[in-house]
Amino acid sequence: MSDANMIARWRNPLFLWGAKREVDELPTIAFRSHQDIWNETRESKAELLPVGRLRYYYKWPGHGTATWNRLRYWPSRRRVLRVRGEYNPKTLRREKTITDKRPIWWLLGLIALALGPLFTPLGIQNTLLTAASTFAIYAAISLCWMLIIGTAGIYSLASYAVVGTAAFCSASLSVKFGVPWWLLPPLGAVVGLVFGGIIALPASRLDGFYYALLTLGLNELCRVYFTTSPVFGAANGGLFGAATFIPEAASQLVRLLTSYYACFALLLATLLFYRQVNGRRVGRILRMAPEKREAFAEATGVNFRRARVQVFVLSSTALGFIGGFYAANFGGVAFSIFNFDTVLLGLGMLVIGGIGKAEGAVVGTLIVVLFDKFFITLGPIRLVLIGLIMLLASLYLRDGLFGIKAQFRNWRDKKKSERRSTRAEKGGEMLPEEATDAHDKNEVYRRRFDKMQREYFKTIVSPELIEEHRRAPQGQHSEVLERLLIYFRGQPQVDKYAITAVEPFKAYRIVGLSGHRGVPPRVVEDKIYTTPEEAYHAVFLRRVQDLLES
Amino acid sequence: MDIWFVISNAIVLACIYGTLAIGVSITWSSLGLLNLAYGFIFAFAGYGAWLVSQHVSDWGPVLLAAGILIGALGGVLVCAIAFIPIHDKPNYTIRGLIATLAINLLGTQGLLWWFGPRSKTLPEIFGGWKISLSGMVLTADKVGNVLTSILMLIVVLRWMQSSRRGLEIRAMMMNPHAASIVGIGVRRTSFYVMAITGGLAGLAAVLLSQTYYISPFGGLTPMIKGVSIALCGGLGSVRGAVIAAIVLGLNESITTFAIGGQYVLITQFLFIIAILLVRPRGIAGILDKAREA
Repeated sequence: MSDANMIARWRNPLFLWGAKREVDELPTIAFRSHQDIWNETRESKAELLPVGRLRYYYKWPGHGTATWNRLRYWPSRRRVLRVRGEYNPKTLRREKTITDKRPIWWLLGLIALALGPLFTPLGIQNTLLTAASTFAIYAAISLCWMLIIGTAGIYSLASYAVVGTAAFCSASLSVKFGVPWWLLPPLGAVVGLVFGGIIALPASRLDGFYYALLTLGLNELCRVYFTTSPVFGAANGGLFGAATFIPEAASQLVRLLTSYYACFALLLATLLFYRQVNGRRVGRILRMAPEKREAFAEATGVNFRRARVQVFVLSSTALGFIGGFYAANFGGVAFSIFNFDTVLLGLGMLVIGGIGKAEGAVVGTLIVVLFDKFFITLGPIRLVLIGLIMLLASLYLRDGLFGIKAQFRNWRDKKKSERRSTRAEKGGEMLPEEATDAHDKNEVYRRRFDKMQREYFKTIVSPELIEEHRRAPQGQHSEVLERLLIYFRGQPQVDKYAITAVEPFKAYRIVGLSGHRGVPPRVVEDKIYTTPEEAYHAVFLRRVQDLLES
Repeated sequence: MDIWFVISNAIVLACIYGTLAIGVSITWSSLGLLNLAYGFIFAFAGYGAWLVSQHVSDWGPVLLAAGILIGALGGVLVCAIAFIPIHDKPNYTIRGLIATLAINLLGTQGLLWWFGPRSKTLPEIFGGWKISLSGMVLTADKVGNVLTSILMLIVVLRWMQSSRRGLEIRAMMMNPHAASIVGIGVRRTSFYVMAITGGLAGLAAVLLSQTYYISPFGGLTPMIKGVSIALCGGLGSVRGAVIAAIVLGLNESITTFAIGGQYVLITQFLFIIAILLVRPRGIAGILDKAREA
């Protein structure tokens, strides 16, 4: 930097008086306004990236009479859509933002499910409608199971055991005593209530995983019992011949459609049930007592254990109802409902969609049933594919498909803050957490100003400057050197360099001041300087070195 | 039905299921992973031993060694897929459980697809001799099964007590966090653990193939029995698992003798539920401290 900046020259005002060791002119760096330096130092060197987020929410207009006119669930005051109203900061116009669009998606999806069968291509109508009614029943089961796992937080793997037991009991009653089809679901509900009541007993005492393993065993127990018991038709792979609501005489299309719409109605009813349990008092209580925070909930007087068992028994009853419906829909039930793979697929439905969300249960069921029932020609490969999806979902997704959004945002924010921290610079400045602890807040600003000063002085140190100081440590200096010396002199006393006379006019030595009264200075180096000028210059060199190293 | 036959059967099954249960227990307590891919490892080792018997040799010790090695390989595979990527991620326990279940589904269906639904049989490992002891007839496979599984268990437990690696595993069983602080690598140790427990599952697979067939889903019942024994004994405790295996084996033989074979599972689960209601952490709740979930 020396040659390029040394265009300006400094004229010594004292030269005309003929003082000793004064020179007429010296090369110096060009004058720069301190304002420029200040501005330059204050200027952010960070690359200017687009900051903030795109406003991707559609802003609906709305003011006047329409502001308070909201869609509500009759007769309650609950709103269908969560709408946030605000004033646009630029235009000051009143705007509305729909913050939660899930009701809209639910409505569209349910309309699609309701109208879908009318638009199926003829060739695959049979497969598709069978798969669709299976989907609706399994989605209902998944929703109830989601209540148990997600809302109540009980890792029960016995849901299909409840469904199967209810289905087998009601079907056998129908076969033996000719119970009409409309009695099967209530009978199943009673069976589910009893079964749920029995297995709820250990649920309140056992830890999550112990209970999962226990219910896995219970499922196996049910499978072995029902397959070996002669009462339930061990010979033909299941119990069939129960009363059904599907008209025998009608054409196949009518029967499939009847079955589908009945299952769809069951799905709607289960969705309502989910909402009633999860969105109301019990669900709220349980949301207050998530895993590892039970103690807090208990301390605030929330009886979460009772709420858990309530949800569990309610869901088991609903599962029993679905089991009875299952028997009435298919005219019986096969032993495969107790298979370990059925449980696995059911768990896969929950995990792929995301635990704790109704939409997760339904969409996860849709995906699994699509692979399992629609691509049935693929053979065992389709189950391998489902297993693969399940594995990938559990390895990479924290909370299933519907948790992707939150997970992606977390990841993006993490990356953002990482990049921000690599851009930030620190040189003697206080970090935010230090600054909050500092007693004297002036120190924060002093340190920041000091850093700026040092940054500037580092740019002006040059061999010429050092040479100028060596030639005349005292007396008139050029403007730049004078600034540097003033900065050095203004430093605090602690560890400031000083000169001590070992023997006047003969021997001098550099010491570091302690800065405390009564504490003697420490010796910095052993070197003895013969003249004070040499010692002055040595101190200057040390200070310059410290400056450049800081 | 002869009571001695029932009792000897129960002892044999208890030995084999106990082997599995100790595997489940060790995995849970050291890695915090509930390995439900055990059924797959079991079937994998069984098919591996069958392939060895078809193509290499059908001499008993070779088959046993092949089963153990292939089981260990399966364990390492499960560890690499389901443990290594997520062991430091949020919701690890439930995600690990589901990942191993997914591996189980994937693996058993893959075996079904590759080998077909027909089950396979292994040749007799211990020969066909019999001995009679005061009215009790002991066949070769029973004696062999009991001796081999007890021998293997003793070897594994001795190894865990006396070797450097065993010390690492035991340190991780006591407190995984502290173990990682003093320089015991979680990932490296997890491979040892899974290899050993996989080897135990492989051994159990070869031994059980003397009584049952090898099929893709044949590992399910042993896994559930092993898991329920581990559960009853208290997850994470070897002593608890041994006691539970003996108790449940006795229960099985008594039930079979007194009321009939089809009620075994029912009495077994009533028994387990009763134990867990009294001791929510299993029998080991009395013996030693199990890992906190």
